[in-house]
Amino acid sequence: MTFDVARTTVAGRPALTVRGELDIATAPQLTEAADAVLAGSPSALVVDLTPTTFLDSSGARTLIVLARRAAAGGVLLHVVAPRGNRPVRLPLDLLELDSVVSIVDSAAELPAAAGSDAT
Amino acid sequence: MTGPAAGSGTIDDALARCADEPIAVPGAVQPHGVLLAVTELDLRVVIASANAEGLFGRAVRGASLAELLDPAGTDRLRDGLAGDPAEVNPLHVEVGGTGVDVVLHRADGLLLTEWEPVEGAGQAGADWHRRLPTVLQRLSAATTLDQLGEVLARDVRALTGFDRVMVYRFDADWNGEVIAEDRRADLEPFLGLRYPAGDIPAQARALYATNWMRLIPDAGYERVPLEPATSPRTGRPLDLSGSMLRSVSPVHLEYLANMGVAASMSISLIDRGRLWGLVACHHYAGPNRPSYADRTAAEFLGRTASLLLRTVVAEGEQGGVVEVAERAVDLAAAVGRTPRALGAALTEREVTVLDLLPAAGAAVRLDGQLRLLGTTPPPERVAELVGALLAADVTATDAASRVVPGAADLVDRAAGVLAVPVGGGDFLAWFRPETLREVTWGGNPYAAELAPTDDGGLRLSPRRSFDAWSETVRGTSQPWRDHEVAAARTLAALLTEAAVNRASEDNRLATALQRTLLLEELPKIPGVALAARYLPSAEDVVGGDWYDLVPLPGGRVSFVLGDVAGHGLAAAAITAQLRHALRAHLLRAPGPGAALDGLNEVIGALLPGELATAVIAEVDPATGDVVVASAGHLPVLHATADGARFLHEGRGPALGLLDAAGYRETRLRLAGEDRLLLFSDGLVERGAGGLDAGMAALQEAVSSGPVQPQALLDAVLGALDPPRTDDITLLAVART
Repeated sequence: MTFDVARTTVAGRPALTVRGELDIATAPQLTEAADAVLAGSPSALVVDLTPTTFLDSSGARTLIVLARRAAAGGVLLHVVAPRGNRPVRLPLDLLELDSVVSIVDSAAELPAAAGSDAT
Repeated sequence: MTGPAAGSGTIDDALARCADEPIAVPGAVQPHGVLLAVTELDLRVVIASANAEGLFGRAVRGASLAELLDPAGTDRLRDGLAGDPAEVNPLHVEVGGTGVDVVLHRADGLLLTEWEPVEGAGQAGADWHRRLPTVLQRLSAATTLDQLGEVLARDVRALTGFDRVMVYRFDADWNGEVIAEDRRADLEPFLGLRYPAGDIPAQARALYATNWMRLIPDAGYERVPLEPATSPRTGRPLDLSGSMLRSVSPVHLEYLANMGVAASMSISLIDRGRLWGLVACHHYAGPNRPSYADRTAAEFLGRTASLLLRTVVAEGEQGGVVEVAERAVDLAAAVGRTPRALGAALTEREVTVLDLLPAAGAAVRLDGQLRLLGTTPPPERVAELVGALLAADVTATDAASRVVPGAADLVDRAAGVLAVPVGGGDFLAWFRPETLREVTWGGNPYAAELAPTDDGGLRLSPRRSFDAWSETVRGTSQPWRDHEVAAARTLAALLTEAAVNRASEDNRLATALQRTLLLEELPKIPGVALAARYLPSAEDVVGGDWYDLVPLPGGRVSFVLGDVAGHGLAAAAITAQLRHALRAHLLRAPGPGAALDGLNEVIGALLPGELATAVIAEVDPATGDVVVASAGHLPVLHATADGARFLHEGRGPALGLLDAAGYRETRLRLAGEDRLLLFSDGLVERGAGGLDAGMAALQEAVSSGPVQPQALLDAVLGALDPPRTDDITLLAVART
């Protein structure tokens, strides 16, 4: 399974869609991609783990680091991790990552993006 | 023959003609002596120079030397021929009341006798022979090439009386450089001048490599033909390559005339059979003819100096070798002492990598971190330039811009680059700025002039101006010497090795550290049966798992299983800190939840950014009461007679997520053959079907597995067969 972090848009927000296994070997790629996006000072960032097939403690740690950086920069970070994606959602739940970062089941649960209803 | 025409072809033609000139067989001699070639047995004259009659007062061809010499002279001549003729040279005889030095050698099957009147020759000899020991001592005391050259030039001049005596050294392309000079005080110095290779053509150099001495007492001489022009013995002109009277090339005479030289002499300097240089003597005031004895003495000095060349040159080239070697040792020692701070070892101590060898700047890239010392290009250009050179497989260049044209603007800092790879894209590099290398030529080597010859062809003409002509070689630094390149390579090899050692040492250290985190032997605890397994990952990379067993006051025991995110030495070091911190908190805290609160504070305060999970089961062996608290860890599995159940209560977030987590606890009772299983994610997360399937398989294996903890763990590992990509830890507890 190849790993890939793609810059996408989810619910009107800049997003990083993570494909493959997010673990100690691949986590730095997510950090790098997220830093690049955060450098542009967006109002929000979505990390979409819907197509992610595996998440270990290093992957979880990376999400926490991102959450802290985003918070420091005033960026709202959301993690999309469907409950059906057990290999990813279960560790997040076990670690209780939702205590530090917003974890949603799908993009539909995200509140409307600030820019989308501001016309 | 082509006529005069423009283009390089005509110069090539002229050079070829020059190279073809039969300088060894000119068919003529110089007029300061007489040459008679005789048959050896009857000493009968076969060939004579046209000036012979003037010396002997009679025609000599066909006559025997016995008729030309007195009986005593004839006897000494015959005695000399019985042995080595060179040993009787010169033979002093009287001819018509005049003292004459006769010099003998054999060529073309004949005995060549050269007769040179003593009268008119400079005579320094008698006086000089007494000074010979002193001169020899001076020559052999020279420790540098400069000193040797100076002694040689001064003493040859003292001996022969020439206005100027120069010591030339040939470079690899046969360009000559004046490396030492002794001259009349009023003459302009030629020291440091260079002469292009064409000034002494190849066939002349070939002659000089076998014949040690040439003399032209009067550069304005009229050549004296040999009669007959061809030898009756061979049908060819007589070979005069060993003759001291040999008439030289008219090109050479023109060259001397252009320089204002009235008389000249040269002595070969030959190192192990190869022409190394020359002692070139010029006289400007008029003719100069040192006596045969003085010339022989000068030649002797040249031969002696030739023997000393090898040692002196080798010593000169070792200049700097010792210094470089000393610094290499110093740096190697620093690398050995601080293998974990190589960059600092090379750049922050008293002796830095810039001191290793003469350079204006140095760059050290280790572990991807670039450090610059001295005068270097800017960091991004350093990486680019060195990368391009290494990609081109160039270690040392004194003209980097010829390899990397894009670096032409860096010549003021990095005209020369010495770069060695250290592995993983790391490197060491040294930089030298452009040296406006003033090459002072005795003439412009690119402007050979052509002069018409009598037959309408072209002959290479020596340049009419010998004013020094400077050529500036741009974009070039001082060249890197072999021992400098070798020292750089050695240091790079040492660093590569240190990096490899460090990586394997890291792993050894981590393994050792990990072992301290695991218990060598599980303590015996009354009323409790337990088993533990720790399986390191197959990649032999140490993970962040740990387990512990902490007896508490009152007989209770805490069983701990934790996992720090990440692998390797860093994770192992954090693991050690957490383990010890948790022990302290377990001993003080009222329960496992409070102990986790304490540990969470430790991470938040001391290890920000780290993430760990841990689960604690506090067991009272006497009652079977268990208190469980988990910080983001996989749930404890409680196996009873009715099956196995994961404990989803008593949980809180992973350690390091929140400043104050407030860990909850849950309670259960170990009854009968109940067992508790604590495990790390490596056991369940990587199997087919992922974490869910892994946990389900574990639940099934424990439900149907044996009761005894050791056997249970064996059964679990056998059933799940987890991939060994991560470390795996299991702890099973039961009551006895």
